[in-house]
Amino acid sequence: MTTKNIHIKLDELKTSSGLVKNLELSIGKVVNENYTEPMGPTPMPSVTALRDWDLKLLTKYKAFYMPDCDSCCLCTFGKCDLTAGKRGACGLTIEAQSARIVAIACSIGAACHSAHSRHLVHHLIEKYGHKYPLDVGGLNIKVEAPITRLVTGIKPETLGDLDDVLAYVEEQITQVLATAHTGQEANAMDFDSKAFHVGMCDHIGMEVGDIAQISAFNYPKADPEAPLVKLGIGSVDRTKPVIMCIGHNVVPSIGIIDYAKENKVDESLEIVGLCCTAHDITRYYTRGRIVGPISWELRFIRAGLADVVVLDEQCVRTDVADEAAKIGSPVIAASEKNCVGFKNRTNDSADAIADDLVSGRVAGVLILDPDKVGEVAVRVAMKVAPIRKRRNALPTVEEVIAAAKTCTSCNQCQRNCPQDYAIPVAMKTAATGDISKLTELYEFCMGCGRCEQACPQKIVIHSLIIKAGEKAMYSEDNLCRSGRGAVSDVEIRSVGGPIVLGEIPGIIAMVGCSNYPKGGKDVYDIAREFASRRYIVVLSGCSAMAAGSYRNSEGQTIYEEFPGGFEAGGVLNVGSCVANSHVAGAAIKVANIFAKRNLRGNYEEIADYIHNRLGAVGLAWGAYSQKAAAIAAGFWRLGVPVVVGPHGSKYRHALLGRKDKPENWNVIDARTGDIVNGGPAPESLFSVMETKEECIVQMAKLVMRPNDTWKGRAGKLSHYIDLHKRYMGVMPDDIPLFIRTAADIPITMKDEIQKVLDANNWKETPIPDPTLLPRMVRKMKE
Amino acid sequence: MSMFKDIPVEVGVIYEGERIRRNDMYVELGGPQVDKKFEIAQVKPMDQVEDGKVSIIGPDIKDLKEGGIYPLGILIEAAGAQLDAGLEGVIERRLHGYLNFVEGFMHLNQRYDIWMRLGKKSFQKGLNSFEILGKVIYRLFKNELSIIEKLQITFITDTAKIAELYPQALASYEARDAKARGLKDSEVDTFYGCVLCQSFAPSHVCVITPQRYSNCGAISWFDGKASASIDPKGPIFAIPRGDMINEEKGEFSGINEAAKKRSMGEVTKVWLYTAFDHPHTSCGCFEAVTFYIPEVDGFGIVQRNFKGATVNGLPFSTLADSTAGGRQIDGFHGMSLEYMRSSKFFAADGGWNRVVWVPKEVKEKVKDFIPKDIVDKIATEEDAKDIDGLREFLKAKNHPIVAKWVTEEVSTSATTEDDGAAAAVPVMTASTLPISAGGFRIILTDAKIYASKVVIKKDESKAEKR
Repeated sequence: MTTKNIHIKLDELKTSSGLVKNLELSIGKVVNENYTEPMGPTPMPSVTALRDWDLKLLTKYKAFYMPDCDSCCLCTFGKCDLTAGKRGACGLTIEAQSARIVAIACSIGAACHSAHSRHLVHHLIEKYGHKYPLDVGGLNIKVEAPITRLVTGIKPETLGDLDDVLAYVEEQITQVLATAHTGQEANAMDFDSKAFHVGMCDHIGMEVGDIAQISAFNYPKADPEAPLVKLGIGSVDRTKPVIMCIGHNVVPSIGIIDYAKENKVDESLEIVGLCCTAHDITRYYTRGRIVGPISWELRFIRAGLADVVVLDEQCVRTDVADEAAKIGSPVIAASEKNCVGFKNRTNDSADAIADDLVSGRVAGVLILDPDKVGEVAVRVAMKVAPIRKRRNALPTVEEVIAAAKTCTSCNQCQRNCPQDYAIPVAMKTAATGDISKLTELYEFCMGCGRCEQACPQKIVIHSLIIKAGEKAMYSEDNLCRSGRGAVSDVEIRSVGGPIVLGEIPGIIAMVGCSNYPKGGKDVYDIAREFASRRYIVVLSGCSAMAAGSYRNSEGQTIYEEFPGGFEAGGVLNVGSCVANSHVAGAAIKVANIFAKRNLRGNYEEIADYIHNRLGAVGLAWGAYSQKAAAIAAGFWRLGVPVVVGPHGSKYRHALLGRKDKPENWNVIDARTGDIVNGGPAPESLFSVMETKEECIVQMAKLVMRPNDTWKGRAGKLSHYIDLHKRYMGVMPDDIPLFIRTAADIPITMKDEIQKVLDANNWKETPIPDPTLLPRMVRKMKE
Repeated sequence: MSMFKDIPVEVGVIYEGERIRRNDMYVELGGPQVDKKFEIAQVKPMDQVEDGKVSIIGPDIKDLKEGGIYPLGILIEAAGAQLDAGLEGVIERRLHGYLNFVEGFMHLNQRYDIWMRLGKKSFQKGLNSFEILGKVIYRLFKNELSIIEKLQITFITDTAKIAELYPQALASYEARDAKARGLKDSEVDTFYGCVLCQSFAPSHVCVITPQRYSNCGAISWFDGKASASIDPKGPIFAIPRGDMINEEKGEFSGINEAAKKRSMGEVTKVWLYTAFDHPHTSCGCFEAVTFYIPEVDGFGIVQRNFKGATVNGLPFSTLADSTAGGRQIDGFHGMSLEYMRSSKFFAADGGWNRVVWVPKEVKEKVKDFIPKDIVDKIATEEDAKDIDGLREFLKAKNHPIVAKWVTEEVSTSATTEDDGAAAAVPVMTASTLPISAGGFRIILTDAKIYASKVVIKKDESKAEKR
């Protein structure tokens, strides 16, 4: 994709087959020969190119700021107190400061995914060449990179093509981050728009990374029947040496797998992953194990299960080296992003490095060559395992009880526990010799370790919990469907009918991290609730692991109980964090497949289509990271609502619609140009839910869209009303807002709803061909 | 739920996907182990139907043995001023949805194939009589299909009575099918249009006639008739047929007007029985796509779930993409599988005689509707993998299209010879005309030069040589 000005003038050209006279040819731009789609209005949009669209959304869904911190300490004039309408030394308000922090967080998240993808692309080009073709789904996928095409106008065909795409993303992240400097952007809404922008770029960054690795590592390609892989600490064979890989960038792990396979030792050891690296390990190597989310790092290490710990990037606990030292496990840092203070041994011989690690002369090393990481990790694991003999850092039950007796019930642990668990009560009970309450905590604990840091008695509380939950921990032996990657074009085509006819009420995308308010079971319960009701449930990352960690009454995991296709009642694992891009990708492809809307550089039109038509909702129940913020922001700009769990309130703002103001819900009917009330559908763009029950009801409500056919609306309403009654105990109070015509009323609820409508002076409204863009109004052709 | 206050279990669409496993079932009704079972709807004169009556012939649920498997017949008798026998199928198929709304009750299949299970839990909650199921069905029918004025329901578990009614039911299905299949577009004065798809494909309008199902395969002319009479303002609406403009191509003035109005003037002319010139538009969720193969002058057909490439090297996804989105594309046609059973199936193009390639799975499904003399001459993916193979197959089998090739080949060559070379050759006739400039090689693929048709590749070898 190069842009060149070409001018050719031929006075006369004779060839054996013809004659050309006075030919002048000017070509302003060289167009990729296989991409004939016309370019839309906003290829490679700058920070402000889509600002009008953002402001439309931000006016409809006004930001409600929830400052988690009421001062600013970013410059030396501060820290500045921003409470009660006070401005900082630079003049900034608390609203703008909150929005600024969101933009910064989203920039960090986008940078993280994009830098990850940049590393992958560099590495893969070095290994396979610029011309290595991209292939994410063979014949079943025509649009290989929907987000990239939509935003940049580039149709990437080879690894080399991804270079240009990333260059755009990197520039935009820099531009947005720059606006957060003191004395730059002044306005809160504009900061939000910038967060949207960088969120959009984040989705490109993710897409680039995942399509590169799917193509080069030959992962499952849009495969509904991607293999079921082992999940959970109990699935790890503890009689074998264990290599534990933590992070998100699979490259070093692949070095390990390849070396182990080449040397025919892969059957004699266990290669396990934590966090998203785990997903990608199993997409490459089905014998790999998914241990669990980030929260399982401490328990896996302290239980002494890791013989070698390999760190790549993102969501890696920064105290892993100290923890590993306690159990005598060497650590290999394998990413520039996380060197852990170790000496760089990349250029040393594998023999020398392995000797140093096995002998314990050094606790850890930095190796930036994935093949060398592979050799060293495998050789060290084989040698260290017999020496360590599963040495662990867990107390005995007697020691647990003894430690509990030193507890003074100062409550600092509970105060510092993000989930406010009743740790002091569990300690008190344990002091009497009954550890059952500690065992209960194991089920819910997300392993952050803050309790220990807070304890003035220096009790290793988390280790006590792990010991008490040891039995449960070793019975964690479940199944996860290996990340399938994208949703195929054919699958999307097949669900068009059922969605229009109301047989599929909506698409529920459950993504992100594990800062759950009450354990991972909520994720399983939510996913199963919607899958049983024949919604399409799409999972990724740590949520995909949590969902696979429980079984139904027949002993099946959710991936065995429900099909893996993008279909009614399907439960899909798209894969790791970067595979989240396939969720937005599927939404974008709907516009292309059903309405034949051009994608290329045509962001606003497609976002308008998705926002008004596609009943998809994102849920990040345990979102904790800046990456999760960036992913959410990318969905906001597409107009897809996102729900977060209680900790999501720390993202500092919600984007809420006002259902009590009918004028906020006007849409243009593209058929007539008339302004029509489309109802509060979706009611919010970003909302925080406190409990699983509230969340389920909210999600069921948020799948409604102004374009719903009456069959579709009736189905969606049935579930919303039923779930509201089931979980809130009463009928929802906003039913009339969602009924446009009598046909929208679910037939099984006709009598009671009719009463509500009568009491509310309800009037019929037309079902529009909805848009927020005046230029989309169609004119009758003569 | 006030509507079902007196029903001991819940009733709602949320139970639609519910499956009852053998271990959880109280009784099974119908199913593969029962020889004779049926459900049937019949439209009756007003005076022969007692509104709201539910009858049970034979033992009721509470008299059946737990874990047992029993025969069942369900007879729905409906009356209404606007009802006619043509709507019996529409009414009958509602039973599947309605019975599945009942908590702990599963209904599969239809007609003489029905298979139901009642779950233990729902039986314990009090769902122990057909009377209750009858009430549920009755209320849902009356709520949804306002054209039904009177309705009575009979459940039959008595083996002798089932044996007596079973042949009558089979005869009714057969007669209904024959009538439906026999009904011709030329015999009705109303067609139906559907714009349900417009929620996703804003310019698509589906025309449903007796001889042409909706593209998605979900809505027949009878379904259209029922929907339009219940909700005339709804997304499924009546299209007065109007004048027949072109009998062969299937052009009707009423359809043209409706298409123009509903597509905002995008589509002004629709020909129902052809894939050429003004074919019916294609939405997004059609079941199959027909594609013209110019090399053999015939149609290939491929269904949505076909894996791999078709005979012209393109997979379903690419072919579908070239016609979807409510457009009329010459030579492409998104359609239902049912349309292949219609006698008007591409009638203007030669019908089945024009079809040269169909995947085996589809061919098996519609085999009985393909004329006997042609059925073995149509290639499947097992017979031909590419165009050359297809040509060989068609020749070997003497497919009727082969006869057409001969005449055309002769005429083509004749034209070329007759025309003087100088006059016939435009400025550039070469299929490719390379021009080299500044390290690029430019290949002009057409005499008219558009930027979009200029293929530019950097010719590195040449650049280096210089």
